[in-house]
Amino acid sequence: MADYSRDEVLAKVRGGEKLARADLRGLDLSKAVLDKVDFRRADLEGANLEGAKLKGANLANANLVEAYLKDADLRDAKLDKADLEGANLERANLEGADLKRASLEGATLTEANLSRALVVNASLEMADMGGAKLEGATLSHAEMSEAYLGAAKAKGADLSNADLSRANLEEADLTEANLTEADLSEAKGPGANFTKACLQRANVSQAVLAGANLTGADLRGADFTRADLHGAKLTGAKVFGATFSEANLDEIELEFIDASTDGDGTRRITGDAALEMLRSGRPSAEVPGRRYFGKGDVMRNAALEFGDNSFVEIESRFEKCSIALGAGTELVVGDAGVLQSCTIEGAGNIIIHGRFLEEKSPGIVGPKRLIVSSRGAIQATVHQPEGHTQFAFEPGSRLRLNIVRPDDEKGR
Amino acid sequence: MADLKSGEKQTLVEEGTQFKGSLTSTCPVVVRGKVEGEIATPSLTISETGAVHGKAKIGTVVSMGDIAGEFDADTVQLSGSVRDNTVIRAKTLEVKLSTEEGKMEVVFGNAKLSVGDEPEDA
Repeated sequence: MADYSRDEVLAKVRGGEKLARADLRGLDLSKAVLDKVDFRRADLEGANLEGAKLKGANLANANLVEAYLKDADLRDAKLDKADLEGANLERANLEGADLKRASLEGATLTEANLSRALVVNASLEMADMGGAKLEGATLSHAEMSEAYLGAAKAKGADLSNADLSRANLEEADLTEANLTEADLSEAKGPGANFTKACLQRANVSQAVLAGANLTGADLRGADFTRADLHGAKLTGAKVFGATFSEANLDEIELEFIDASTDGDGTRRITGDAALEMLRSGRPSAEVPGRRYFGKGDVMRNAALEFGDNSFVEIESRFEKCSIALGAGTELVVGDAGVLQSCTIEGAGNIIIHGRFLEEKSPGIVGPKRLIVSSRGAIQATVHQPEGHTQFAFEPGSRLRLNIVRPDDEKGR
Repeated sequence: MADLKSGEKQTLVEEGTQFKGSLTSTCPVVVRGKVEGEIATPSLTISETGAVHGKAKIGTVVSMGDIAGEFDADTVQLSGSVRDNTVIRAKTLEVKLSTEEGKMEVVFGNAKLSVGDEPEDA
């Protein structure tokens, strides 16, 4: 039983009273004018808020499970950490709303307007977002597995690190969207538009992207293993380090691809050669300067020097090796790769999915970038170069790092 | 910093405020000013203008500001800067690459990171 009737709620709102923590379960507040009202932690489970005016309202931590918010005006509303599981937000206007860490599992957001909304770390599993407007929205780290995003308008949206596994993206507009390190495995996106989108290091394995438009998209380091790209448009795509093993590339539209390490168009491959490069499974395999050290191999006491802008991938075991990296060179220690008692020196980018275990300090000197993935482990002293190293560590990475700043003489 | 307006009880060290000493709280602590000393709290958020120099025992740290000293935490999210002689011990650490080419998400001085289980040669 709710604390108040509809009339009592409206009277309190007119009197400027707060409704924080109020029990308003199942109340009919349809079409009510509730702009900027304080509903923090209120219990609105099953409430009818159809067409309600809630612009700028504070619904942080509110319980809105199964609430009916169809056509509600929630522009700039605060809904962070709100529980909207199973809520109906069809055609609701959520432009600029704050939905950080909100739970929207199984919610209906068909044709809702989420432009510029902040949906970071929100839970949207199995949500229906068909036709929703997501232009300029921030959905990084959002959990969106099995969500329906058919015909969603997500131009320029930030979906970096989002979990879109098994999501439906058919005919969605993801032009210039940021999908860096997103999980799109087994997603279905026939006819989706990824023109100039960034999918760097995204997991697109087993996704169905038949007829999708990936023109000019940045696919560097992405995994398209067993993806269905039948009839997809890939002209101008940046493919360095991407994997297309066993992908269906039949009838793809491809005038040229960009195989440069930096995606700056300096290594353009055209026509049949481009197609062959993709069909090889690993486009970077054909790039001059690419080195691959396969699983099962062991290398000891070797001195290796890689020139500028090379791509080096190690799935082997290296022991007591010294590795020199030229400027712009990318060294990827794969999942099976182990660098035991080795040293790496030079202004390259180092990505560790496997292990780097130092014996003699410093193990790593002067890297431009050091990334340790969630599967990676590193035990090392890192001497930064002038201008510092760009570090990135994914949750789950195991680190024993001694970081030394560039001008520190004591650490040398 | 929308969390600051969410209505949860929290301890706020506002911009322009400098706190020296020991701070223990069962509420989340948000630092927009400067704290020097010891902090124990389940959750610590350091804004872009904030700084915490000292020792901290925390459940979750989200730092966009300036940190120095010893931090023991379950979960750490870092951007901003990490000063010299800083030690971070955590179960998980997240540092993202900046989306802007060439820009640093975190600038590290001399720092030691001990995160997750010990790396082993399997």
